Amino acid sequence: MTQMNMVQAINDALRHEMRRDDRVVVLGEDVGKVGGVFRVTAGLWDEFGDDRVIDTPLSEGGIVGTAIGMALYGLLPVPEIQFSDFIYPAYDQIVSELAKLRWRSGGEYPAKMVLRTPVGGGIRGGLYHSQSPESLFIHVAGLKVVCPSNPHDAKGLLLASIRDPDPVLFFEPKRIYRASKGEVPEGDYTVPLGKAAVVRAGTDVTVLAWGAMLYEAIAAADEAKKQGVDCEIVDLRTLWPVDIETIVASVKKTGRVVVVHEAPKTCGFGAELIALVNEKAFLHLEAPPARVCGFDTPFPYTLEMDYLPLAHRILPAVVATARY
Amino acid sequence: MQTLASVDPAHAGVLSDELGIALYEHMVLVRAVDERLVALQRDGVIASHASAIGEEAAIVGAAAAMRDEDWIFPSSREFAAALWRGMPLVAYAHHVFGTARDPGRGRNAPDPPFWKAARVVSVSPLVGTQIPHAVGVAWAASMKKVDVASLVYFGEGATSSNDFHTGLNFAGVTKAPVVALCRNNGWATSTPASKQTASAGFAVKAVAYGLRGVRVDGTDVVAVLGAVRDARARAASGLGGTLIEAVMLRNETEPRVDPVLRTRQHLEGRGLWDAARQERLSREVHADVERAIAEAAATEKPARASIFDDVYAELPWHLREERD
Repeated sequence: MTQMNMVQAINDALRHEMRRDDRVVVLGEDVGKVGGVFRVTAGLWDEFGDDRVIDTPLSEGGIVGTAIGMALYGLLPVPEIQFSDFIYPAYDQIVSELAKLRWRSGGEYPAKMVLRTPVGGGIRGGLYHSQSPESLFIHVAGLKVVCPSNPHDAKGLLLASIRDPDPVLFFEPKRIYRASKGEVPEGDYTVPLGKAAVVRAGTDVTVLAWGAMLYEAIAAADEAKKQGVDCEIVDLRTLWPVDIETIVASVKKTGRVVVVHEAPKTCGFGAELIALVNEKAFLHLEAPPARVCGFDTPFPYTLEMDYLPLAHRILPAVVATARY
Repeated sequence: MQTLASVDPAHAGVLSDELGIALYEHMVLVRAVDERLVALQRDGVIASHASAIGEEAAIVGAAAAMRDEDWIFPSSREFAAALWRGMPLVAYAHHVFGTARDPGRGRNAPDPPFWKAARVVSVSPLVGTQIPHAVGVAWAASMKKVDVASLVYFGEGATSSNDFHTGLNFAGVTKAPVVALCRNNGWATSTPASKQTASAGFAVKAVAYGLRGVRVDGTDVVAVLGAVRDARARAASGLGGTLIEAVMLRNETEPRVDPVLRTRQHLEGRGLWDAARQERLSREVHADVERAIAEAAATEKPARASIFDDVYAELPWHLREERD
């Protein structure tokens, strides 16, 4: 066991898998010698060289498009999109090509890759370095979507994502890249895709969260506890396909659910989660499901802490839901 | 259509007797297929067909210039390349009719087909998106020091797409062994080439990407064969990719030069073809086409449950619920 932050844990996972599997290549903008703008790929170029850690031209569509070709040929690309706000030029390649190749070819031409990209706000990044576009990918058949909340899960989920046969969008919550530290096992282990973690057991209300907002949910739960409300907190870890069994079991126990996410509320993943809870646990509900989300506005620079669904906004929703 | 007397005699040494006859016979076959499918589409039997009438020399000549181990990325009109590579005519018919024996399992509207055994790749009908895939395959092969190149086809309209630009830019930077074949027939659906570009033709666009640009008479199968072979050899020697503009102008919808007839006249001029052979070939081709279509038309459609296969490598819970 070693103390690592998220950046170090993801770097460790990439290095581990590149040593183990010579099909794995990293490519993206500035990922080589400089190690990426967040230094997640630092040192990989020194060890693996130009053919496996590749600085590309500045074109996300080109990065994903050529990575699809690499994957068809038999490599296992792990492209980095520098910020998830920059992923839209690649959206056509991801949605129309990557996600559909296995299906449209009757299983004969799957294209496997893991697209890593920093996500979310709270780093003074402003409108174009803070967005949370996960639901745009959850909506697309053929993709898996992952978002770790701590170094242990980040390494284990990334190794599982690289070894999974399907394309994975791996969202890295940049606000906690360095703030989240913890014990990370050396060597090989995976955290299975599709399995949520109940990070705190409780009886009164289920809080569903992921990524950086998990810590806001925990902080809100600490405050709620002082008011006599006992929260059960579920870290989804894999957003899609989501761990429906864990969610439904928790909601059946508590009878109440609050979803927290940074992305805008309307058609955000919270909408789907609450619809699923309604379909599968409606008769167990004792209060209307609640959402605490980013606003249905673009992401603001100066007022980002007002935009984010921080603990002070989660707390009243949790308490109101518990006391409904 | 106007007919020229023969292919350019200066190119004749490129073409052996045996290959000349094989190319011509294939062009006659695909012309017959094309005319039959256009008729079926007009009758409403099949939903659509992307005809390549008048473009056979460019499509077949380019495919024939590549080696067996090379990869081919068609656009919508290159079923003739898949058939040249060994896709059985009946398999293509199953694709067009969307039967249970379609390699794509009836999921795509007719054209383009793919044929995994011969590295003819599944592409979408979206314009230009396959260009970076072809570059990625070639790039990956060059990284692995394997002598494999890729051929990607597209119409001149695709040169206006994002993926043309980014794909060829990546090709130039990486020196990927790719042959990009632009079929310039002067019209993208109803839009003339003069509304696609202000440049003097399309081959000149190669200059900006650091690629070689070549213009060739796309109705001259020998010229196309020679140009693509030359580009393939140049790429294999590490000099990078080539953008080939195969020119075959139409008067609105009607090709000005019939490449099939032109090839026949070339063979006749070399004493390799006569009326008796033509009659025998026509009879065989007609029978083959009718047999393939009859088999496909009589084959069952895919089972309902097959919709849910191949979205992911394994069926996730939510698709199981929708299927069952």
